[in-house]
Amino acid sequence: MKVTSASMMDDASRAALASGRAEPSLGLFLDTLLAMRGISETEGAVIAGVGLETETVAALSPNALDMVFAAIERGPARPKAKLVYEDLGQTPAFLQDAILAAEARHDWRLGGPGIRRLPLGVPGHAKIEIIRIEAGTKVPWHTHKGQELTLCIAGEFSDDRAVYGPGDFSVYRGDDRHQPVASTAGPAYALAVTDAGLRFEGLLGALQKLFNA
Amino acid sequence: MRSSDGSSDAQRKPAGEMLGDLERTRYADLLVLIATRQDRDAFSELFAYYAPRVKSYLMRLGADNAAAEEIAQDVMVTVWRKAGLFDRAQASVSTWIFRIARNRRIDVFRRTKKPDLDPEEPMILPAGVEAPDARIEAMETETRVRAAMKDLPEEQLLLLRMAFYEGLSHREIAEKLDVPLGTVKSRIRLAFGKMKSRLDND
Repeated sequence: MKVTSASMMDDASRAALASGRAEPSLGLFLDTLLAMRGISETEGAVIAGVGLETETVAALSPNALDMVFAAIERGPARPKAKLVYEDLGQTPAFLQDAILAAEARHDWRLGGPGIRRLPLGVPGHAKIEIIRIEAGTKVPWHTHKGQELTLCIAGEFSDDRAVYGPGDFSVYRGDDRHQPVASTAGPAYALAVTDAGLRFEGLLGALQKLFNA
Repeated sequence: MRSSDGSSDAQRKPAGEMLGDLERTRYADLLVLIATRQDRDAFSELFAYYAPRVKSYLMRLGADNAAAEEIAQDVMVTVWRKAGLFDRAQASVSTWIFRIARNRRIDVFRRTKKPDLDPEEPMILPAGVEAPDARIEAMETETRVRAAMKDLPEEQLLLLRMAFYEGLSHREIAEKLDVPLGTVKSRIRLAFGKMKSRLDND
């Protein structure tokens, strides 16, 4: 895996990454992408930490600490659930938690022969879901209503542009037709975020510049 | 009044000072004690500093008082449970706790639809290990960015805070401060440029 240091980003790219955090789906996508690429967005993280230190001090309920100790002693209410697909066990921990939370709410949905989708139910305007493509399956040719960012999170798939392994991503604009095909070696999984008519502002350009997508 | 709507400059100014080196070392030591010895006194001290700030942050994101209280308590439970994952070479305690709190923003958004927050619902946690060279860089950057921030003008600090801490888009910042979008973009770029040149000079 290529390791890119945050200091290699230019100012505009960093600023665009920061603005992407405002949309929860896009924030989850960016966090996953950066984690899979081994990129630390260090300056932003330091600024955020200082933000918390200089935050106003809200009054807590008088027994807040006791309630927290009580919750700690109760322990987790249920044992940690298992992922439906073990292949996703290699993805970043916070993404696995989002997947488990979605799986607890509903099943994976059929998205056509050999295709399953798990909407992650993240609030906000953009939509984010995991798409599972069975080994060797061709997704029918399609376009998107808006822009779509697709990140390969496990397995391998390809389209007429490139082959995508874990950590590789691609940007499709509304009128781009494409037909992803999963490798015959095993199922492929993509994390896909669609903007539903939103503009991702300077983000797409920044991502493409950063990663030569 | 909801603090999330408090958009005047006075309310947006930082309320306190950033932590000094000794205090940051102290809080990292406390978190390690929690991880290695389940030390309740260490946790109580950490709680006293961070829990009220986390609650303020959640209210800034739009949570009401009751939701912010509940989620802040839940964040602190997570701090206890996940203390073993904290790596002092990778991030400060403030950054680590901020990430846990930030990832609960989804719950804040969802709150209106789902009044019964399940405190055990799997939550999105901070990213795991980074590459070794990134870890070394992280420590140096922590010190240098903090030093650089002390020299930045108030106006630029405010923008960095809104973008990275509050997670606002450039458009939202422009609306809140009532300045053109282009001004926000150029000022943030300027702030980064200054931080970078300051870093390069070290």
